[in-house]
Amino acid sequence: MKKTLLAALLFAAAPSFAADVIKIALTGPFSGGSAPMGTSMRDGAKLAISEINAAGGISVAGKKKKIEIVERDDEGKNERGALIGQELASMADLSGVIGSVNTGVVLAGDKHLQEKGITKIITPAAGSASMTQWSKAGAKDVSIFRFAAHDGIQSAMVVEEAINQKFTKVAVVHDATNYGVSGRDDLLEQIKKQGNKLEVVTTEKFNIGDKDMTSQLLSAKSKGAQAILIWGIGPELAAISNGMAKLEMKIPLIGGWTLSMSNYIDNAGKNSNGTMMPQTFIEEPITPKIKSFIEGYHKTYNVTRIPSPVSAAQGYDAVYIFAAAIKQAQSDDTHKIKEALEDLHDPVKGVIATWKHPFSKWDPTNEQTHEAFHREDTVMGKIVDGHVTFANEADRQRLIKNASK
Amino acid sequence: MLKRLIFLRGAEVIAFVLLGLIPLWVSNSYALGLLTLLAIYGILLIGLDVTVGYLGQVNLAQAAFLGLGAYAAGVCVTLFGFGIFSALAVSMLIGLTLGALLAFPALRLEGPQFALATLSFSALSTTVLNEWEGLTGGAQGLSLNRPAFFGHAVDAPGFYWLCLILLAVVWMAMRNLLSSQWGRAFEALRDSPIATDAMGVGTYRHKVAGFAFGSSLGGLAGGLYAFNFQYLQPQSFTYDLMVILLLGVVLGGRKSLWGAFFGASLIVLLPNLLSNRLLFEIVAALGLLLALVVGLRSWLSKHQLQFQAVAPIIAMGMLVIGGFMVENTENWRKAIFALMLFSVVVGLPDGIMGFVARYLTQLFRIAPPALPQASTLDSVLPAKASDGAILLELQNLKRYFGGVKAVDDVSMQVHSGAVHGLIGPNGSGKSTAVNVISGLYAPTEGKVLLHGKLLPSGSLFKVARAGVSRTFQNLQLFGELSALDNVMLALKDAYRVPLPLVLLGLAKSEEICAQSDALALLQLVGLEKQARVHAKDLTYGSQRFLEIARALARKPELLILDEPAAGLAHPDVSVLVAIIKSIKQRGTTIILIEHHMDVVSELCDTVTVVDGGKIIAAGTPEEVKRDLKVIKAYLGVADEAPLQA
Amino acid sequence: MNSLIIAQMAVSGALMGLVYALIAYGFQLTFATSKSINFGQGELVMLSAFFSLTLLNLGAPYWLMIPGGLLFGVVMGLVVERACVRLTLEQKSEGWILLTIIFGLLGFSAAENIWGRDDRPFPSPISSDALHILGINVTPVEISVAIGVFAVMGVIELFKRKTLLGKAFEAVSADRDAAELMGISATHTIMLSYGLSGMVAAMAGILISPITTVGPTMASALILKAFSVAVVAGLDSGFGVVVIGILIGVLESLTSYYLGSGWRETPGLLLLILALAIRPNGVFGKVSIRKV
Repeated sequence: MKKTLLAALLFAAAPSFAADVIKIALTGPFSGGSAPMGTSMRDGAKLAISEINAAGGISVAGKKKKIEIVERDDEGKNERGALIGQELASMADLSGVIGSVNTGVVLAGDKHLQEKGITKIITPAAGSASMTQWSKAGAKDVSIFRFAAHDGIQSAMVVEEAINQKFTKVAVVHDATNYGVSGRDDLLEQIKKQGNKLEVVTTEKFNIGDKDMTSQLLSAKSKGAQAILIWGIGPELAAISNGMAKLEMKIPLIGGWTLSMSNYIDNAGKNSNGTMMPQTFIEEPITPKIKSFIEGYHKTYNVTRIPSPVSAAQGYDAVYIFAAAIKQAQSDDTHKIKEALEDLHDPVKGVIATWKHPFSKWDPTNEQTHEAFHREDTVMGKIVDGHVTFANEADRQRLIKNASK
Repeated sequence: MLKRLIFLRGAEVIAFVLLGLIPLWVSNSYALGLLTLLAIYGILLIGLDVTVGYLGQVNLAQAAFLGLGAYAAGVCVTLFGFGIFSALAVSMLIGLTLGALLAFPALRLEGPQFALATLSFSALSTTVLNEWEGLTGGAQGLSLNRPAFFGHAVDAPGFYWLCLILLAVVWMAMRNLLSSQWGRAFEALRDSPIATDAMGVGTYRHKVAGFAFGSSLGGLAGGLYAFNFQYLQPQSFTYDLMVILLLGVVLGGRKSLWGAFFGASLIVLLPNLLSNRLLFEIVAALGLLLALVVGLRSWLSKHQLQFQAVAPIIAMGMLVIGGFMVENTENWRKAIFALMLFSVVVGLPDGIMGFVARYLTQLFRIAPPALPQASTLDSVLPAKASDGAILLELQNLKRYFGGVKAVDDVSMQVHSGAVHGLIGPNGSGKSTAVNVISGLYAPTEGKVLLHGKLLPSGSLFKVARAGVSRTFQNLQLFGELSALDNVMLALKDAYRVPLPLVLLGLAKSEEICAQSDALALLQLVGLEKQARVHAKDLTYGSQRFLEIARALARKPELLILDEPAAGLAHPDVSVLVAIIKSIKQRGTTIILIEHHMDVVSELCDTVTVVDGGKIIAAGTPEEVKRDLKVIKAYLGVADEAPLQA
Repeated sequence: MNSLIIAQMAVSGALMGLVYALIAYGFQLTFATSKSINFGQGELVMLSAFFSLTLLNLGAPYWLMIPGGLLFGVVMGLVVERACVRLTLEQKSEGWILLTIIFGLLGFSAAENIWGRDDRPFPSPISSDALHILGINVTPVEISVAIGVFAVMGVIELFKRKTLLGKAFEAVSADRDAAELMGISATHTIMLSYGLSGMVAAMAGILISPITTVGPTMASALILKAFSVAVVAGLDSGFGVVVIGILIGVLESLTSYYLGSGWRETPGLLLLILALAIRPNGVFGKVSIRKV
């Protein structure tokens, strides 16, 4: 038994001998409830990595180096996240980390990376706490970046949308996980911030795995809610939509970006029509770059639709941004990459946008310095006949125009 | 003695010293993180093993206790500014209290119902942790800082050493507990809860205490978990984790400290195993090899293919083949875990450590420690002068089962110092009568008085404590315990050291006293040479005698022998008669249920005959034998001929 | 208005309660003959649902898919019995609890990898457009669930009472040793009970899938409720599970409405602990007599 223990420890600690590769870790839930997001992110990132490797790799100090992937499944569990954080932090030759879906996992694991100054790009985890934990702690320097529209932006857009549509009474419905509860808090805060124009008639909660949402919906209905602002993930959202259809509640559903996932759209079927959510990426081939990304993904992974297009696109772009930082730093040293990320000179052409200076030097009082997405990078999406499309035609035109610049 | 010490304790000392030294030469924070988790899970699994291994119940609440303990520590530190040790003490206390609260209703259940009850408790505790946002932060989690230790910040190696020291303390406490009366009681109540109660040991209270103890270790591990991860969320402590913990205990080996430790290392290291393809393939191949070897051996010895041998080979074969076919083993983590576990549970029911331990003990043949000198019988079972007063009195005793009147209005008196025979044809109600007296059944109506005072009704345990001891028609020995332990378990008034001192290992001297006393009783029934033999390995006759010795260890006022000669070979019957005679000589009152009329005639002073739940005759054996009603009851026809043995 | 809301919630809660009851009924079947239950029953529900969905995707007509799915459930039930239960029952140990949990783990992982981790819709020819009955909204799919639950339980109960095989089943349930002496093979009867239990699980999967969608975790929340229902009612309570199932379902809805949706689970769990404290063998369970 001692032997297995030692053997496993040795394997874990043994440095890799291949020095002419760049090691990047991809972490996220690849099994369990949030796996659709984790695997989409991973597969999007892998697509970008295989493109880079196919082109010979990244030239670092005159030598082309290929990217080697270290894949770690955190199962959406904090404990695994903490261990993976420790493991990655102790890998001497790791250039950086991309991933994480669950905010809890981020909170449990990232401190180990931050301790050692390992560069990480969080995507697609959107919970506000993932970045605010560092500004709250007053960290002088932070090696963690985020490449996702955080909940602060999203909730602002959701509340804005409800106000624009002239609603006065809304119900806030959320799932009982970290994601849902922090989404609820963000929504309530935004309602206050935007002048208390919305009255929250009821706040309702549901558990992962709940199938019958009648009582929550009846509560909203009987109190006269004109719209439901919702924060949750996947099939339970579909149960809400289907329950609304059953109770003939013809009021709109507006919520977090996860409403664009296939496990909501497919399972809610026609009841998903009209649902709105902030999006960083919409699976519409409006530019050649987006077209080739979508087709590449479909072909490589043998699917007809990306389970979570937002996760996949963010994973893809995050890799390109990371690669640009390596190129600029001319080093695979994680600390140098961090510095390069804080000051990227050249724009990076991604599928979501062309990224110009996405991050800046960490300011302990403002975590926005390490957030890539801002309000203008995010658009409102709307489900029409089973597909997410632009809620406002103006956004589509703007993106096409930006891409052609 | 020395050899024993070296092998048994040496391994532990070496293991702990080695584990303690690791941080000095490995500075890898990941390795240290794994080792810390190993120590925490070690404590957790030792606690879980109390219920799963020793009490033999599938407990699905340990993950919940981990969570409750973790939150208790977290809340103490963040809200009330507790220090590291006081917070850990609160964690333990929370585990202990809630464990006891859950155990009271849940341990009235057995098997699946118990498992389901604990499962529901887990769900309930997750809900509470999630909903009590004011205290726990709800789903958004609770962040905390590891408190300082007397003004010094605890760094990673320091915290690891703390966990390791606590594991060592728990380890020693557990070993002390298991080698005391408590450990015997745990083993006994799994083998026969009824006999455990009948020996005045109290099945229920030991179960509750054992469960609460295990839960308190869960709470302690939870406190350490909180300080290790410094971020808690209710969803971490759900069914998923519980399954992994349970399987860790089983895989490592139940009823074994090393098993719990090994199980903990498996849980901690398994994800690493899967992320390294080569390592995984090696382990899978080794597993298949092991399954093949074990399977082949069983085929050679039994010449037939048994499920235990074949199923693990199939499962491990699937693992090896799957290993080649599957692109990403990480994706199949749970399936791989399941296949490995399946093979172990089916092929090696004692777990991997149990399997290894069996071979190690065969290899080294460690002799058990020598037994002390037996006490004199006079000190264990002092002779009593019998005054012939009424000891036991049944007044209009009735016991009905639905419409069946098993005992119907029986009144009788048993005099002190006498051997009182209770006979009757099969189904006459004599066994039911003694089951009512000994507390297995509550009477439907009527009274049972001992020394003129009402005996507790419907509780084997209380009746045993009141001075009535019994044997069973269908043997109820503790098969997994040695003959000596069977008797030691029942010894009355032998164990006075309170639990905290037992945990500290301060019960050794009373253990030796108890051994001497128990040996004296084994001598009385002629089993002193087989003191170390497991009860299940004794001959049938010896098992009967062992039950008598065990019942005598209660130093009873009244001894009930329920068909002690049933199934005995002739020579054994004579031994039995001699044993009963010597017990009688010492002044112990006996109720003897028996079919062998010669035994009854030889031993009994008075005989009561029952049939159809009613007394049909009473008197000396000679009078009863000539009673017409008795003859009719036994032979079914009126016959003038006296009953022959 | 208020009473209508309560009625609406009661109906919706009761429908979920019937689903709990059907899964709990699957526990009863095997508990009756062997005093064991399949802790992986939730995965059986899920696997059968996935299998039925695959049949549909392969082009099988809906009415042919049902017997196919049920057959799959029976086969899986028999596999569970052979691989996880029989040996440990022979050894008189409770290893089956662990082995069935392990089976569930294997089934879960296999489903994740074979069919994907995502939830999928399950097409049904029955409409899910709401009907109005006395002011209460119910969908035909929900009604079909209720009918299906009673139909399956009714057919199995009839089978147990009216057929020779069913009577053997009852005999083994009542007294295993006596039944064996009468020449009834307990082993075969236990196999039968696991087959039936698997079929019930498959039926549950097919019935609820149009409502719950099909995914690896589709039954993991349901199964916990079904456990509660089975224990509160008693593992040998017959139709008692229906009463308790509906009770817990309705209580859940009402608690969620009045106390806040986070506390939804609590009444079931409290009821469970209460029932255990007062009637350990369940509200409708038989009290057993200890024998020596």
